This record gives sequence, C-alpha cells and structure tokens, in this order.
Amino acid sequence: MTHPTPRTRGDQRTAADARLDALDNVRQAIRIRDEWIEQGLCALPADRPAAEAAISELYARVRRPTPRFVWVPSPAAVRDAGASVRQMPPPRYDELPRQRDDWPAASLISALNARLSLRMGEALRLQHQRLSRFLSDPWRREAPEQAVRQGTDVRLVVSEAVIPALARTVRDSLLFPLRDVLGSEAGDPFGYACYGQHSAHQVGEYDIWRRSGLLRLRPEEVEQLEVWMALARSCGWWWPGDDVCVVSERPVDVRSEPAPDGGRRLHSLDGPAVRYADGWGFHAVNGTRVPEWVVTDPTPGRIAAELNIEVRRCAIERMGWDAYIEAAGLRLLSTAPDPGNPASELCLFDLPSHTWGSPARLLVAVNGSLERDGTRRRYGLTVPADLPDPLAAAAWTYGLDSDQYARLQRRT
Amino acid sequence: MTLTLSDLTRQSGLDVLDHLEMDVAIPVLDGLQAQGDLLIVPLEDLAGAVTVLEWARWRPVPPDGVEVLRGGAGGNPHTLVAEPHTCRWTEDVRDRTGLALGVLWADQPVHLMHPEHGASGIASGAYAIRRQREGRGMTSGSVQRTYVYD
Repeated sequence: MTHPTPRTRGDQRTAADARLDALDNVRQAIRIRDEWIEQGLCALPADRPAAEAAISELYARVRRPTPRFVWVPSPAAVRDAGASVRQMPPPRYDELPRQRDDWPAASLISALNARLSLRMGEALRLQHQRLSRFLSDPWRREAPEQAVRQGTDVRLVVSEAVIPALARTVRDSLLFPLRDVLGSEAGDPFGYACYGQHSAHQVGEYDIWRRSGLLRLRPEEVEQLEVWMALARSCGWWWPGDDVCVVSERPVDVRSEPAPDGGRRLHSLDGPAVRYADGWGFHAVNGTRVPEWVVTDPTPGRIAAELNIEVRRCAIERMGWDAYIEAAGLRLLSTAPDPGNPASELCLFDLPSHTWGSPARLLVAVNGSLERDGTRRRYGLTVPADLPDPLAAAAWTYGLDSDQYARLQRRT
Repeated sequence: MTLTLSDLTRQSGLDVLDHLEMDVAIPVLDGLQAQGDLLIVPLEDLAGAVTVLEWARWRPVPPDGVEVLRGGAGGNPHTLVAEPHTCRWTEDVRDRTGLALGVLWADQPVHLMHPEHGASGIASGAYAIRRQREGRGMTSGSVQRTYVYD
C-alpha cells in the first residue's frame, strides 16, 4: 500500500502544495470508488477458490473448522440448496448461549463484522467531529474536484461528495431491491447473509479512506478488512452455516447507466436489469425498480392500476406520451404556440382524476433541441388542475405568470 | 462577438453531443431563455420573488465552469461558462417559489451549456436560473410538486 507523499519545495511546504495534494487525494478517492462500483456491478463468474479461501479464513478467525461449500446460482436458490443448509437468523445477543463456543458460526461471523464496522465507524466519527462542518453548498457535493480547488477540506469532500455515490449504486440500487425481492418471494426468513460483492459500499468506503491516505488504520483492522474485501471482489451473497456454507454466484447480466451523482444506476429496456443464471433478478428503468410489464407490455389499464407514481411515469414514457394519450383517450383542452420554440405547440389535456391520485392536468411540450435521429422529443408534465390554458400551465412550471412566459426568447 | 458551439467547446473543454449544429452562431440574448428543464430569467423580471441574500457568498465562475444542475438520465450537467473575471455566481438566494438555483452576475456575455441542448448566450446583467417543476392538486390549495429532470 502506498500513501501519497506530501509535496514540498526543498523543505518548504506552501498552501499551493497542500491544495495540489488535496486534489490528488480526491482524484484517487474517486478512482478507488469507481473500482468498487465496478465490483458491485460485476457480472463475471465468481472466483470460487478466492471466495472459499476468504470464508475459511473468517471461520478460522472465529475458531471454527472450514465448512463444506455449496454453490448456488443466485441468492434465491439458497432455498433449494436443501433443508439441511437452510439458515435461521442468528439468535439475538441476549438469547445466545453464555459460552461463545456454543454460538452458531453465523453469530460469530456477524459479531466479527460488527466489530470491524464499529471500529471503523468510530474512527470516521472522530474525524468528522474534528471537521465539525457540513457541505452547505450543493455544488460542492456535485463537483468534488472543484470543491477541493476552491478550498473545501478534502476529507469533507470525500465523505459528502465522493462516497455517497458508491452507497447509492451498490446498496440502494442493488442490495436493497434484491433483498426486497427475495423477502417478498421467500416468505420465510432466509437467515443471516453476508453480501459479498453487494457489500462493496461498506468495504469500499473503508478502502477509499485508507488508500487515499486520509485515514490511518491499525494493522489488525487492515488485515481483517482485506479478507472482507477479497469476498467483495470474488462472490455473491453467502450464508455461514455451522457445517455448510452456501455461496451464491454473481449475476450473469447487470445493465446500468451513469447516475447524476457520478455513480451508476440500473437501466434496461430489454430484459431484466439484473439477471442471475437461474433467471432470478429484477427489471429497472433509469434507476427505478419496475415490474416486468413496464418494460415488456405497458398498457393504459395497467398504468391506471399502478399505485407507485414513479413506476407509472416509467411505463408512460416507455409507451411514449403520444401513444399513451391516444390509448388512454385523454381529452384535449386547448393548444397554444410555444413561445421561443418555433413551430412547436403546447397542449393541455384533462387527466382522469384517478390517474395520479389528485386532480391534475397534463401539459405536453416539445423539446427545444433535436434528438440524434433528427426528431424532437415530446414530453408530458403534470400541472395543477386549475390552470386554465397551456401558456399558464407552462409558465407555472417555472413559477412565472403567462405574460412573463410569453416573452420567452429562445428554447433549446 | 458571437461564438459558435465549436468555439465554446474548445474554450471550456466541455463536450456536446455530435449531432448538434456546431458552427451556427449562438445568439446572445438579454431576456427569458429556456434550456431543457432550466430557465434563465432577468433578475429585474422577478423583483419581489427572488432576492439575493445580504450575506450571499459570490464565487467567480472558474474556467471549467460552474455546474448549475446535473440532469437525471445520463447525468448531463448544465454548466455556466465565462471568460475569467467576467462572471460571478451565488446560490445564496431566496425564491418565493423555491425554484431558483442561484443568481449570476455577468459583466460580459456568458454561456450556459448542456451536452444535449447546446448553448444559450446570456448578455451582461443579473439573472436568476430557475428549475422546472411538476405538480398535482390546485394552485389555490396545496400542490404536491416534484422537480423536473430532463
């Protein structure tokens, strides 16, 4: 492991040197973050020898013999791995036997993990306390390098502008939805799982601090962290049983697009966004988890019956606003030329009150700039139901009145 | 002097999608302009609605620009670019509608750029940049609103 060496000029160290070092730190932190995002999204076959070696190492650390390994194609397949390996959740601490030797292996390993998180959490909390400030300007969160160049403390930038994208990518867009799907399908508790590649946000965060030279760890912490990192780099979820350890393969297909925060989010318009070899997985559009019909067969009926507004919007955009308006039989109230957008019209439609749960109208406008194929995209916006005409509706979306909006000079 | 999109991409180092017209002059305007989900409004048109706070922290627009807002799908940013020492930007503003992202003060023409929407030329003066919202309900009563990302 190499810590970046602070810049000096002779034995002088200037503010400019410090600034340049900070810039190196933040760039390196972003590079390391992106490595871990890649691990979280990785769809290569598991590195079975590496995973088994790392798991055996953890068993040895809690003084348990190496388990027998059973590999399954996906986390959902753990249910079919045989009754003998079905895991129960580890008991609560106050229900555990007094002697550690009598604890289930899952409890010992979860305690091992918890201890590392606790130590790391404490170190990070102390560091944050010393900073005792927050990033109050939104731009500093969105442009980490610029924030450092303008003098924001690099540690603050890393914790608030670099690391969150990792958690949003791995934890929020993969781990949580997968756990949700498994929970709703499994019906019975599926036990204490470790998440392998889908814990990349946890080990990745520690690794970012460590490798960018912004936090010093004790050797014993580094040693344990290396083992959990090896797991995040080599396999999917795993269930530590006393005699048998069930380990899941990684998915065979993960499709994503760049997210606004610098991370990635799941997106696929043909087929699931996450798919394991046994077909298990889920669909997602622009980062929103959606039912399969949204991608394969969106219809006005299904859209009207869908409770989640985000999902409904995805389904409509999948159909196209024009097709949806026609198929749903929306009533056109009026049209008006779009100021600043030559030869384009604003159209205002009535929405049946059940469409979005509260009274609303639909404003359909045309993009000011061309798409790659030379067409202009039409898009719909919901507006309050008491806006009388398309101009007033378009003006409202920007907080203006009709007269002001009518003076729009140019739209791109 | 009016600039083209290719001049601007060269000067700022920012990229735009290659199907946009690169060699057409970008008009520099002093009125209302829309760029996708953002609106550039002369500050005087919003007298009473948008105010710059007394303690506002202004920052000079750096050569690689100020990211005003990052878009949704694809994460395309709207970036304010200007010649050095010609433009200041602050986010310390109060807006009755809550839509203003900030206020820019330009001594020379400046540009707002976006990979899909190209560039908008802004004449010298003070402007607020507002984002777009959607909503349901009644304007007179309570409106459930969300921001638009294009």
